[in-house]
Amino acid sequence: MQESGKRRVKRSEDYAITTENLRKEFDGLVAVDDLNLRVKKGILYGMIGPNGSGKTTTIKVLMGIQRPTRGTGSILGECIPVKDNIQKIGYMPQEMAVYYDLSIHENLELFAALYSVKKEEFQQREKVLLEMVDLVERKDDAVSKLSGGMRHRVSLACTLVHEPEVLFLDEPTVGVDPELRAGFWEYFGKLKDLGKTIIMTTHYMDEAVRCDVVGMMRAGRLIAEGAPDELLARTSTDNLEDAFLFYSREGKT
Amino acid sequence: MNLDRVLAIAKKNLRSLRRDRRTFAFIFMVPFMMMLIFGYTFGGEVENINVYVVNLDEGSPVGSLSWRIIDELNSTETLNIVHIYTSADASLDPVNLSIQKVRNAEVWGAIVFEKNFTKDALWSIASLASGHPFVSSNMTLHLDGTNPNVAKAVSGSLSGALQKILTTRFHLNAPVSIETDMVYGEDTKFIDFFAPGIMGLAGFLVTFMLTIVTFVRERSSSTLERLLTTPVKESEVVAGYAISFGLMALAQSTVILVTGVLLFNVQVEGSFLLALLVFFLLGVGSMGMGLMFSSIAKNELQAVQFVPMVFIPSILLAGIFWPLEAIPEFLRPISSFIPLTYAVDGARSIMIRGWGVDQIWVQIVILALFAIAMLFLSTLMLKRRK
Repeated sequence: MQESGKRRVKRSEDYAITTENLRKEFDGLVAVDDLNLRVKKGILYGMIGPNGSGKTTTIKVLMGIQRPTRGTGSILGECIPVKDNIQKIGYMPQEMAVYYDLSIHENLELFAALYSVKKEEFQQREKVLLEMVDLVERKDDAVSKLSGGMRHRVSLACTLVHEPEVLFLDEPTVGVDPELRAGFWEYFGKLKDLGKTIIMTTHYMDEAVRCDVVGMMRAGRLIAEGAPDELLARTSTDNLEDAFLFYSREGKT
Repeated sequence: MNLDRVLAIAKKNLRSLRRDRRTFAFIFMVPFMMMLIFGYTFGGEVENINVYVVNLDEGSPVGSLSWRIIDELNSTETLNIVHIYTSADASLDPVNLSIQKVRNAEVWGAIVFEKNFTKDALWSIASLASGHPFVSSNMTLHLDGTNPNVAKAVSGSLSGALQKILTTRFHLNAPVSIETDMVYGEDTKFIDFFAPGIMGLAGFLVTFMLTIVTFVRERSSSTLERLLTTPVKESEVVAGYAISFGLMALAQSTVILVTGVLLFNVQVEGSFLLALLVFFLLGVGSMGMGLMFSSIAKNELQAVQFVPMVFIPSILLAGIFWPLEAIPEFLRPISSFIPLTYAVDGARSIMIRGWGVDQIWVQIVILALFAIAMLFLSTLMLKRRK
């Protein structure tokens, strides 16, 4: 951030993630429409919106998986696609994206090795993560033998194995039972306390309420943003779903 | 390039295979079975070919040449004489009867010795000695040439037997003889010739298929996407794949060679390790090729469709079963673009001729260049995807 490199952009140090008129089109179809996002460091940012509203595409562009059509973005002050800070970023895709023929332990070990996590550190973290995702007993089972929800948990554990500073979680709680979801949220809280930034997409409005800031997306645009309480107060509604509908209608008129 | 990350990718591939028992079995059973089937079908000589013999020869006071030839034919395994008709069976019209047997495909051939076979032959021999002109004695071979290998074996064994009798009994040697000095391959059997071919083919094909399928799966399950969001570089992914599947190619070559040596006594004159190096390079190259092809395929089914496309030219044009000289001239340039050609040629020179690096360095360099080019191109391809 302090270096004057081509890849560096001067941003307020308060922001973990920013986008500047970020646009992504697929064959003329606009998925992300000149998005300007500011995600402060150390917060839990929830992106909500219907399917096709551009949440996942935004994350994929930020992760360097897809190239923006126009505009730019930055993570921890480095322009996307990030190279120097890649070690500090964790990404959990919407798809399971873990190796079914490997055991849980082997999957974790692979991702730890790719992030150059030292052996002793890995052993410690693996224990903590397996407890968090409640899979200690199944550690040596092949992922193919696990249920869908369990696979999702393995995927989350793989994202966290290198203790990233910024976490991109695309629908992390889909298919996870309510009890375990509560456990996840507890863990997210702990990560936040450690100063980590989490940006996640979700379909569950009751989850979105737990975020520090919620960004509502529709047709590739951010139609509203703010703390859940703030959004409810502004729209005089008592749940985020209604608040979303409010902004959605407002956008149309 | 970070070696730990490369090894992590390689380890991941090998571990995946270990759990995927069916694929694992496929990798080792296919080459084993290929060797077994090819070994048993092509490995032996053509034997027990059914023939009829019609011996109408009346012989001569000194004995019968025809019976000596028949005895000689009986002493080898090539022909199986089903029945011998003699002049005593004249009423059956044995010549036409046996020709009919050939026509009905009940036997492959009928050998007919005429009435004056021995007399004519002896007369010819005497004339030869005295310098008089003569008409040589005849035996007739009615042959079913449907299978060139069988036809060749029948006429070969017949002329062999004749030659032997003439030499041993009548001390008649051909005026000019060809003295063959086998520079290489003194005891080479057909299986020695094609074993290196099968090793190369199995290594090439299985590595290619394995890469295509694994990589398409890696893409469709988004694990590739995920890998590339970690610090791992495209070149490291490719190198990890090259190491793991190169090792697979090595293991396969070893299975094939051990099967060949133990069951079919395949000869290995040169260094086995050098032969393995050749197959490793080929394996790495075909991995890279598989990786490139996988970028065109959208799913595993589409990917597998590339296999025959690559398999057919390789099996036909790389000199595995037929020498490159048997391929029409206009197709030969294609052979030089098939890396398998160099691997098989190199391995054959090592195993049969006993050649070392100094003699097959050209093949090694070509295979190494192919491997490097494929690795480079597949890395580029991965980068482009991003």
